[in-house]
Amino acid sequence: MLPDAEAIRKAAQEAASRVAGKPIKEGQKIVSSGLIDSLSVLKLISLLEKKLRVSIPPETLQPEDFDDVDLIVETVQRVGKSME
Amino acid sequence: MFWLLPAGARRMFVLVASLAFYATWGIVFVWLPLLVATLVFFCGKRIQADVVRARSWARLGIGCLLGLLAIFKYRSFFLANLPFVTGVIPTHTASLAASIGFPMGISFYTFAAIGYLVDVRQGRVKMPAFLDLCLFFLFWPNILSGPIVRARELVPQLSLRRPFEPRFLFEGFDHVMWGLVQKTVIANVLGIWVDRGFSATAAGIPSTLDGWFLAIAFGLQIYFDFAGYTHMAIGTARLLGITLPENFRQPYHAATPPDFWARWHMTLSRWIRDYLFFPINAKWHGAPVPLYLSLLGVMALVGLWHGAGWNYILWGTLHGVYLVLYRIYESWKNARPDWSESRMIAVLWRIGTLLAVLVAWVVFRSADLNRALEILSAMFYRFGTGGRFAAACYAYAGLLVLFCSAEPFLMRKLDEIEEHAGEEGLSAFRVLGRPIAYLVGILLFLLFDTINAQFIYSQF
Repeated sequence: MLPDAEAIRKAAQEAASRVAGKPIKEGQKIVSSGLIDSLSVLKLISLLEKKLRVSIPPETLQPEDFDDVDLIVETVQRVGKSME
Repeated sequence: MFWLLPAGARRMFVLVASLAFYATWGIVFVWLPLLVATLVFFCGKRIQADVVRARSWARLGIGCLLGLLAIFKYRSFFLANLPFVTGVIPTHTASLAASIGFPMGISFYTFAAIGYLVDVRQGRVKMPAFLDLCLFFLFWPNILSGPIVRARELVPQLSLRRPFEPRFLFEGFDHVMWGLVQKTVIANVLGIWVDRGFSATAAGIPSTLDGWFLAIAFGLQIYFDFAGYTHMAIGTARLLGITLPENFRQPYHAATPPDFWARWHMTLSRWIRDYLFFPINAKWHGAPVPLYLSLLGVMALVGLWHGAGWNYILWGTLHGVYLVLYRIYESWKNARPDWSESRMIAVLWRIGTLLAVLVAWVVFRSADLNRALEILSAMFYRFGTGGRFAAACYAYAGLLVLFCSAEPFLMRKLDEIEEHAGEEGLSAFRVLGRPIAYLVGILLFLLFDTINAQFIYSQF
């Protein structure tokens, strides 16, 4: 079972803030604004996997799938697979 | 004329105008973007309908597109550089192959097509009607030299049913006029001196002043040439009410090598990131060795995309080296959380990036490696006095350097003036400033339009 949307949102906000090195607000663009690059997106994915105990196969994803907190939640719900 | 047509007829008008525009650059190749559209339409439909073999259909489509690119852009390069190909193909076939012309814009619409197939495979876009796809690939403002647009950005706008808004004209003409001035007044003028200085027949090692002048002049020429084209493309599309993505963000203000690629030819960088770099590194979870190798390989391919020549491959590989060096520095920095980067180091990275970009431009532009080495040696260690260009040439380049330095400030000021005027307000800037600026732009264009020079990026 994937965690619920609220748990994913909280984890997404924490992980995005950690990778960006500053607090990320709701709706703030982090990839298209150049705040983080594609390698940081890989770090973000790995942080989300650890926090949520899910597997996110990134091969079919693009960096802008993680452009803001809403998109991160949507992406995790779409492609994430529970590791439990 | 476009806005006078009934909304239903606009799409056909744009398609016919796009075909006519492409035909003016070479009527024999008009079928090629149509073939690309047909191929993508067929493969895209199969990808959506046949889930089991979707990957195979995507691979087939991408393979065919790369095949077309190889035949029409790289055949001469392969024939000249791959001995086993040269040995197999009879001489008359090889000379026939070499005589086929170059279809303008093929690198741009092929990359847009590959991106489209990947997006369909990943479920990001639905297959539109065939007419939409033809419009997407043939859309005249960006068919020759981009920006490389994603289907999900452009296709939804191609219904062309938006009602007319006056700001389409203001915004469109702003871009077109500025693009015309950049191309005719700046890039074409610099091009005369650059052609003279970089040609293989130019006599011996230039003086130190000329070495630096040539490197800077070409850096400015290629920026204003390509940014000029992009402004015209964005402006022309805007006149039709369509928004194309920006392609440049003051690239010579880059703080680091990755920052340069986030500012230079942004839509190509985005394409490379989404369809090559990210999938490769996702597979290896960003591990250092695959990362460094992928940076070198991908940037060599970026060089090859620019042109079928070793100078382009070397230029791309050099940028790959810069990116690897920066990533090594970054991982060294990240391993030391207590260490903070001083302002001095940040300034050094900024200067180093600009110098590295200039060195790479010399390699990119030189007729051969010998000429590149002559110019680079004059710049860095074989110091010689004098200069073979008129004082006005150095002064002109100096003024442009000043302009580039002030560009972010000037753009910010213009934005502030626009914001101050409000959405629809008739400010003094709109009533007086704009017409005067347009008039000056047209006069400059007419004055400098005697230099007939192709857009550099339309040859790629």
